[in-house]
Amino acid sequence: MSRRLRWWAGILIPFGVLAVARWVLPLPFLVEVLIFSVYTMACNFLLGRVGFISFGQPAYLAAGAYGTAFYLYYFGRDPLLGILAGLASGLLFSAVVGLVFVRLRSDYFALVNLALAVIVYHLMQKVLAPITKGDNGLWFLDRMTSTPVLDLTRPDGFVWFAWLVAVAVWALYKALDDTVFGACCLATKTNEDKVKFLGYHDFKIRWTAFVLANTTAALAGSLYGVYFGFVSPEMASAARAADPVVVTILGGTGTLYGPLVGALAYVGMKDLVSGVVGNWEFFVGLLLVVIMLAGERGIWGTLEPWLRRRWAWRRPAPALQE
Amino acid sequence: MSAEILRTVDLTKRFGSFVAVDHVNFSLREGEVAGIVGPNGAGKTTFFNLVTGYHPPDEGRVVYLGQDVTHAPPQHRVGLGLVRTFQLASTFDALSVLDNLVLARFSRLHSGANVRVLLTAPRRRYYDDPRVQEVLERFQLVSQRDRLVRHLSLGEKRRLEIAMAILSEPRVLMLDEPLAGLSEAEIHQVMDVLRSQVGQRSMVVVEHKVSHLLGFVERLVVLHEGRVIAEGRPEECLQDPEVRRSYWRVGAESA
Repeated sequence: MSRRLRWWAGILIPFGVLAVARWVLPLPFLVEVLIFSVYTMACNFLLGRVGFISFGQPAYLAAGAYGTAFYLYYFGRDPLLGILAGLASGLLFSAVVGLVFVRLRSDYFALVNLALAVIVYHLMQKVLAPITKGDNGLWFLDRMTSTPVLDLTRPDGFVWFAWLVAVAVWALYKALDDTVFGACCLATKTNEDKVKFLGYHDFKIRWTAFVLANTTAALAGSLYGVYFGFVSPEMASAARAADPVVVTILGGTGTLYGPLVGALAYVGMKDLVSGVVGNWEFFVGLLLVVIMLAGERGIWGTLEPWLRRRWAWRRPAPALQE
Repeated sequence: MSAEILRTVDLTKRFGSFVAVDHVNFSLREGEVAGIVGPNGAGKTTFFNLVTGYHPPDEGRVVYLGQDVTHAPPQHRVGLGLVRTFQLASTFDALSVLDNLVLARFSRLHSGANVRVLLTAPRRRYYDDPRVQEVLERFQLVSQRDRLVRHLSLGEKRRLEIAMAILSEPRVLMLDEPLAGLSEAEIHQVMDVLRSQVGQRSMVVVEHKVSHLLGFVERLVVLHEGRVIAEGRPEECLQDPEVRRSYWRVGAESA
């Protein structure tokens, strides 16, 4: 197999399985897994590659969702353009915020992001209520027009669109690992000074990584917006601030498939366990404690070496690992 | 006598009321190998930090290649060929040996690489770079090339760090205690590597134990409590009464 083919196989095999699962699994479940995995991928990159732990990811999710919502509620009707508007607002938002936040490290970074999520929530709920309709949210499901080929206004069209977006996001982050930039990110994570003293502009590297990741989070927000046809301040709720971090660790921080496996496990538990007992979060917490005690490698981080031994997977070049 | 390449003028750094570096005037000629010695806390590392841009000085200037670089960011100085190593072997633990070297080589090839270049350059392209291969061999790191640096021994990390510095092709290489914590065998390896660099670039070596530098450096600068108390040929320096009083005593204890 050529290297390029093998490279793509690494993405298309797991997502192919997920595509086939479309005929087995309930549609809402699959859509949720796909969007949540994109949302988690952003967090995974920040935490596993750049060493940024953020408890404010809902802020960026909401930046994308509201970009989409404003466009579709006030201006246009095309959901594809709505998603583009969400991407643009996420890009702008994280580019500006990043100029300040990227100067902070670890615990301060985590907390200042949490504060940002609280601010965004308050803005959307109260301050900007005349245009966001406050807690009632913006409803635009009926306003969206059908799109050609894949109709985003119908769940069976949307699920394929979300699938394509997820594959594209995975390809992007996988490709990033193969670049010098990917190595630079991991280098800043462990030794920022040395990056500087090798002649690299560490601030620009961290800022770019930050903007990239949080625009990805905003993309997930846009997808949610179009899928539900509805956006409310709940999206930025600080109560859900730890979710992407939890799912990242659940899946295996810094691994390529961690976010996908984590999202499957998380959404799966939410749907399955909540059908049986009330407090599904209790079980997520329990699982998290077990994972931390078992060596912090997460579900995929534990499975991968085992699978590799089993099938003697070979990689063409040493991959970046966490 | 060759031209002057680096000069500090009244370089001073205070931390609160403590004067770590006190009006140090130091100069280095093209191709020269100088040693800076002194007891712990003499200000050796702080002096390095001021010259390379880790800290801004409170007073004085750093002149490199005729340019005043006192307030230039470290990246700018590296771009001009002023490269340092750190006291605690400073490498990228989460990357392989090869990727560490690639980062050093890449930075040299695309000085001050902008992010767009970083984003589009595949790491793999530099794996077979002749210069990278050359240092792998010269520094006896070939068998370790795919290992993560966090699994290397201290001696191997030191060699890797010096290899990275050399890939930056510096005109002035500043080494902060390159021998600290190494075994006798490792000290020999590192010294061999450093000797092979003589004549290709200027070097400044900070060292705690003076004995390692004899026969290697042409000139010695002795720091004590942030001040230069002696300077000159190593043998002469060590005969200096003030050096014997303030430094030799400490040196004898730790020897």
